[in-house]
Amino acid sequence: MNTDKAYLFGLIIGGGVFGNAEDYLRIRLPYKQWGSYTANPQRASEISRDIMGFLSPLFRNIYNLNISYETPPSGIWSVICEGDLSELISDLQSYNIQCEGDLRENVSISEITKSLVDDNLKRRFIAGLADTIGSTNPNHRRFTNEVQILSFELKGFNFSFVCDLCRLLYSINCLPDQVLWNHPNFHCTNNPYYNQWNKGFKLRVQIDQYDKFGAVAFKTKAKSLKENRKLQQQVHTTTPCPEREINATKSSVHPAEYDNRLPACIRGGHFLHNRHVCAVIGCEHAPYNAIKDLCAHAETLITPFPILCKDSAPAIEHIISNDKLLSDRTYNIGKYHIKPLYDTYKSCQTTLAFGNDTDTGYPISEIIQAMAFIIADEKELNGKRVKGGYKELIEKHLAVKPDLSVEIRIPDLLTPLVVIGNERGALIGANNPRVYKSLITIAPDNEYKLCVRPITEKDLRNEK
Amino acid sequence: MKNELSYYKEIQEFIEIQLKSNFSASNYRKLHVYWGIGELKSNLFQIINEHPNECSCALHFAQHIPPLSLDIFALITDGNKFELLILEIKLVKSAGLKEWSQLVGYCLVSGAKYGLLVNIDNGSSERLVQTLSNEPHMSHIQTIVHDKEREHLLGFMQWNSLTYNFEYTNLGCIKSLSDLCAKLISDFSE
Repeated sequence: MNTDKAYLFGLIIGGGVFGNAEDYLRIRLPYKQWGSYTANPQRASEISRDIMGFLSPLFRNIYNLNISYETPPSGIWSVICEGDLSELISDLQSYNIQCEGDLRENVSISEITKSLVDDNLKRRFIAGLADTIGSTNPNHRRFTNEVQILSFELKGFNFSFVCDLCRLLYSINCLPDQVLWNHPNFHCTNNPYYNQWNKGFKLRVQIDQYDKFGAVAFKTKAKSLKENRKLQQQVHTTTPCPEREINATKSSVHPAEYDNRLPACIRGGHFLHNRHVCAVIGCEHAPYNAIKDLCAHAETLITPFPILCKDSAPAIEHIISNDKLLSDRTYNIGKYHIKPLYDTYKSCQTTLAFGNDTDTGYPISEIIQAMAFIIADEKELNGKRVKGGYKELIEKHLAVKPDLSVEIRIPDLLTPLVVIGNERGALIGANNPRVYKSLITIAPDNEYKLCVRPITEKDLRNEK
Repeated sequence: MKNELSYYKEIQEFIEIQLKSNFSASNYRKLHVYWGIGELKSNLFQIINEHPNECSCALHFAQHIPPLSLDIFALITDGNKFELLILEIKLVKSAGLKEWSQLVGYCLVSGAKYGLLVNIDNGSSERLVQTLSNEPHMSHIQTIVHDKEREHLLGFMQWNSLTYNFEYTNLGCIKSLSDLCAKLISDFSE
């Protein structure tokens, strides 16, 4: 190991794709729009300078490899390494890194990080990763432009890689701001019928933290970080994970929690917060006590039904007809005026409607959001999202037509409420903590891992 | 407008950190790096006086060198052996033979084994590229002084003041900082 190899290993692990032939290595730089020559020709020319002016002599010097590059309009750059790769492969194999296919999908960095014996070597390795998978898109911000983020982005299911990288950053005092795990509980918290949850990992670090402790070697990345930093007025510090507050919100149980691609320690678990994953994985920085506290009232944070699922009316009908628990219900169908429901919402946003008692029923805020989606004109929608605020939209429509109503189907048991109209539909799951509690167990091999079994008609009937 | 002097500190720090890291990664004993700016002889004596345990191995050398004004030099030692690294730092559009000759002269006069020509945010002239690519003896110089063989290993690198990082050029005999470290480790292990 040396300082130059540490950087190259980071770069290769971040983007390396080995071909079947022994002499083929491509380093994929997934810059997308940020690096696209059609979107930003100036930056693209600077990226090519980074590759040929900085990377090329480094590769030539350390491994006697020649490099070239390809850049399609998509902005996904490829650095092509040509020459005898045997020394490089042998070096990587000495750290238990198998040089096959897309490295970061399956690679373990636990061995290589042991050989990064000081903070500088760690920084060099992290710089290699940052130059490949560290996104400096200014959209990676926390709430406003004031907190700018560098986001390490990874596809796939390599949870241990993300965990090891997070630990590595932590070890040089570069405290990560947040990890967005590639898991349905984080990518689609509201809707178990949404299948496009496999959106990858994001390990987010505040720019001020990264500026102080991290590094990049590409001039384009450094420039971009500098530009983003200018969007901030103040310097921000990051609180260490165990000391940070945890605010969990309700999430739907998703069938993909059992996806075979998830690692065994994660598969079958339901996660209440991104740091809940850290606790289940066993990270030394996880806030174990806070997670225990969350788990103690998990029934209020978990629902086996969608929180709010919006779609076309036929798609909603299709969901109902394909789920026996939903299709076997007797629905009390009626037209409901929006105004009284909206007045209820305005007086108390946490009200539960159409329930059996004070603890059960459908959250009024979700009902109002569903209604806004149903009554919106086409031009007031952005996909399934209401443009502007849903409250503003409701008020605007009520001002024109105060007696506006929608069809609501109330099931005989607390399965999802159905709101239909305007060729659109929505499903809203009920709060039903006593029943949901009976679905939750703790995994026998991990005291922090919650498992939620599917709900049955019997569960709902017993409660009723 | 920054002048070249204002970059000395960041370049020094970067080189020192890389040297120490590479020595640590090689499981070699602790490395000490002491920097001097300006006149070589008096600075060397000062360093030796301040750190006698680590630097007395360089005393004989210091006594026999002539006074010489330099940009920056580093006394690199493991306590038993030492080597001298001279940095010739430039902030010019294109570093050429003139700048290279300066570094060669300093190394020959001082007897320093290692020398780096560093241009800030810019590269080298076509002429220097041709010379260093085709004539290896221009960066690997061997001399005989008082019947003793001397070796001088020189390289050209670019300092990137935005990324605080060296960009290698593959010009000269020292091609990278890890290469320099490997040579130093070999010197100290002999």
